[in-house]
Amino acid sequence: MATVVEIENLRKEFGSVRALDGISLRIDHGEWIAIMGPSGSGKTTLINILGGLDSPTSGRAMVDGTDVARLDETGLTRFRAEKVGFVFQQFHLVPYLTALENVMLAQYFHSTTDEKEARQSLERVGLSDRSEHLPLQLSGGEQQRVAVARALINHPKLILADEPTGNLDEMNEQIVLNLLRQLHQEGHTILMVTHAPSIGRLADRRIELAHGRLAHISAASLRPEPV
Amino acid sequence: MFARLVKESFVRNPRRKLLTAAALVVGMAVTTATLTIALEVGDRLAREFRSLGANLLVTPESDTLPVEIGGVDYRPVDEGAYLKEADLGKLKTIFWRHNIFGFTPFLDVPASASDQQDKSPVPVTLVGTWYEHNVPVADGTTFETGVRVTHPWWKIEGRWFADGTDECVLGAAFAGRMPGIRPGRMIYVREQGVEGKTAAMVTPLMVTGIVSTDDAEDEAILAPLSVAQRISGHVGEFRQLFVSALTKPADALAERGERAQYDKNIQLTPTEYDRWFCSPYISSISYQIKTVLPSTDVHAIRRVAETEGRVLDRVGTLLWIVTLAALVAAALAVAATSATTVLERQEEIGVMKALGASNALVNGVFLAEQVLLAIIGGVIGFIAGTALARILGTSVFGSPASPRLILLPIVLALAAIVAIAGSLLPLRRAAHFEPALILRGG
Amino acid sequence: MMFWRLVFQLLRGSRGRLAVAILAIVSGAAVISALLNLDLGVQNKLTQEFRSLGANIVISPANSTPTMEGAATPSLMREDEVLHSLQRLQSPEVAVAAPYLYIVARTQDTPVVVTGTWLDQAQRIEPTWKLEGNWISSRDDDSHCLIGRAVARQLHLAPDGQLELGYVNRRKQCTVAGVVDAGGAEDNQVFANLHAVQSLANLPGQIGLVQISVSGAPDNVADYAARLAVALPSGVQVRPIRQVTEAEGSLLGRIQFLIVSMVVLILILTALCVLGTMAALAMERRKDVGLMKSLGGSISRIMGLFLAEVGVLGAVGGLIGAILGVTLSYWMGLRVFGAAISPRWEIFPVTVLLMIVVAMAGALPLRALGDVKPAVILRGE
Repeated sequence: MATVVEIENLRKEFGSVRALDGISLRIDHGEWIAIMGPSGSGKTTLINILGGLDSPTSGRAMVDGTDVARLDETGLTRFRAEKVGFVFQQFHLVPYLTALENVMLAQYFHSTTDEKEARQSLERVGLSDRSEHLPLQLSGGEQQRVAVARALINHPKLILADEPTGNLDEMNEQIVLNLLRQLHQEGHTILMVTHAPSIGRLADRRIELAHGRLAHISAASLRPEPV
Repeated sequence: MFARLVKESFVRNPRRKLLTAAALVVGMAVTTATLTIALEVGDRLAREFRSLGANLLVTPESDTLPVEIGGVDYRPVDEGAYLKEADLGKLKTIFWRHNIFGFTPFLDVPASASDQQDKSPVPVTLVGTWYEHNVPVADGTTFETGVRVTHPWWKIEGRWFADGTDECVLGAAFAGRMPGIRPGRMIYVREQGVEGKTAAMVTPLMVTGIVSTDDAEDEAILAPLSVAQRISGHVGEFRQLFVSALTKPADALAERGERAQYDKNIQLTPTEYDRWFCSPYISSISYQIKTVLPSTDVHAIRRVAETEGRVLDRVGTLLWIVTLAALVAAALAVAATSATTVLERQEEIGVMKALGASNALVNGVFLAEQVLLAIIGGVIGFIAGTALARILGTSVFGSPASPRLILLPIVLALAAIVAIAGSLLPLRRAAHFEPALILRGG
Repeated sequence: MMFWRLVFQLLRGSRGRLAVAILAIVSGAAVISALLNLDLGVQNKLTQEFRSLGANIVISPANSTPTMEGAATPSLMREDEVLHSLQRLQSPEVAVAAPYLYIVARTQDTPVVVTGTWLDQAQRIEPTWKLEGNWISSRDDDSHCLIGRAVARQLHLAPDGQLELGYVNRRKQCTVAGVVDAGGAEDNQVFANLHAVQSLANLPGQIGLVQISVSGAPDNVADYAARLAVALPSGVQVRPIRQVTEAEGSLLGRIQFLIVSMVVLILILTALCVLGTMAALAMERRKDVGLMKSLGGSISRIMGLFLAEVGVLGAVGGLIGAILGVTLSYWMGLRVFGAAISPRWEIFPVTVLLMIVVAMAGALPLRALGDVKPAVILRGE
């Protein structure tokens, strides 16, 4: 299987703080990876870099053959539109756009808008009857599902989710997790940050970070082994 | 506790308050500047209008008809009535003496002049007047006045005659006809011969300059009043007096007061009379002049007085409108930025309410903060505005506009009211929202 | 199309903040357009007021003496030559012009100045004259005259009285049509139509002066005088009347400066207010900028959206405000000058443009987010 993500000696410093301290990692096509660890371990930093939302201090981060670390702002802009789809913990939907328009926004920045395709995407996440609603009128779970539809619309190589169920109640959490399961079965590559072991167990592999370094990699079917 | 809350709220996040502060300072500065100027402009402009020259004319009451063209009187000296020069000091003793900007007496003598002692003279009018003359006033001071004040558009090439000396200046047109005469040379003047009278003595005068007046005086010779008096045999006398006075534009009361002078049917009540007398209308100044100069007719030179009145009136109204616009703009700026600040801090409000603060407390803290900001901004704005008014006053009128301390409390009150008013609406809206809604909608 | 859909939605959101913003723009535009319109109209109206000072240009012979009974040959101008030149120069700024011939005649054994002119223009050239009786409406009326109030008082004359004027060995009768209260030297004079005076003095076709009252700014007056000097025959000179033009020029200059300064101050204040409100509005969009960047939006496309948003606000608000403001200045003109100030159409595009520029300037700080990583923007909330 093709390698989607290859990270080599990735470092990120915020002033004197070392958020990432030399991480090397490989993710293959179709894998569902959970990145776990205590707060401050660098998981959000890692996923941000992979999503092109932040730049590393040094090291290599290849996503679908492109070294994110080497891209300038223009390159990063294209990268974000074409290669990845991001799902945030706080949803980050534009409050004055409808669900449909929020999805179409991602199309807009990629190339051209296609309302039909956007509707299909909402249908995919089970929200076709909510397409004209504003985020204010949607529940947390529904908002996150719109975010997922948005993340998928440009056929990204990689789906990044930072604590996707962190702001959801139990019921909505299940709905969103089910959606992710379906996506995984369809063959999408998913990288998910979570602090909950129960959610981490859904993934193919769990990568644990501590103090900016790799602490553990464990696979679903294998016993945890040290690095 | 309340004060502590206010202080904490005020000190935190100064950048958010910058906008309101800026609006307050600039708004109050503009308000102060425009108000300061509007309050003074009437006086300043009236002074500027004196460049139009005299606005009052004093003539003897029982006079024959002046034979006057373009300002020069061609009557023979023994015709008509005269006024006494010695009375002129009394003009600076009337109630409105400080508004008497200047006055100049004229005595026109039909004469003839030649550029050499024995050459046959050409007829010319000798206009006796003052250029710069010191008039003794009853309180011991002297008042300097003359055509320099009442006829400022007269232009001299060379220099004006010195008061009381045997010097003269030539009118430009007359000088053109006498090519031999130039400043520095003598001109020989005598009174025009009248039938039955032998020709008067010849008086040599030193020509010191050539004056351009735009009027009939250009055809004449101008000399000190004393010279004309001597030549005409009317020592200590003159024919007409031009007065330049600082007046207030006429309104209804002024007109009543004026008409009461000659219309017996119109009477002023004692209060009206006092107000009229104590306002520098041209009619009340005329009245006061007539009181100290006996047997005179005092008339406004209407085209000057009326134009001045109308223009001052219009400009005054215009400036008040502009000032009002400034006030409105300032109020809007402050209200808008206050409202914006409150809207920006909705999250804070949400947090406070979630902690159990009542609407009254929340409003209280915010409003107190706005008032504090208004006072500080208002004081700075006042100082800036006063400086601004000084600069404007100097550039327009040549002297700075004086600061009006009375404006400070007014400006502060305005700032506070507007800041509160601007904040009230958004605060009221925020009062209705659930804290959760505010906190979530971030 | 999506672009404008997005802009529209942007405008629809954040209603509270937008309300303040649009209010600021509308009022700002109203104040600006009202003051600009007023300022443009002020100079015109004020120069009209100054015309009550009387004539501001005089045409006279290169050297002249008054025409006294028995005096030496006076220097005069030819009426037809001068007036013909004047007419040829046909200038719309000329408010009114009239020729004058002054003679000193005798009546009831008293010398009196008799002024010959076009009596039908008298009222227009001297707006401050008050009249008891009737004005003379035709310049060919040889049988009527106007007398100054000092003349009336001295000679005990009233309207409908008879006046006999003598000059050398010629006599003329005329009926007093009205008594003039001029508030000046004219109170001592008798006024008759030009031809009557010319025939009395046996000076057919001669005049001593032409007085012209020209409306407009002092620069225009000087310019007109210069053109006149070129058009007139030799031996004749043209002068602006300094007493009038200098004072008027100086006063107008000061007043204009004062008003312009105050208007500029207010404009700055208003612009600041609009700028500030727009900046606050734009700041609220920070998070949206971060989000859009994370979706692959370039900063220029994102800025385009927000600039369009505030631009539309500026345009719409500016237009409404300009209409309000021009209406306001119309009312203000009536209040100050008693006559409406006609709106200048240039005010509209200028105000709208100004508001758009200021509003956009408020959105520009968002540009600073161009180099900031989306992670940073989205994190700081």
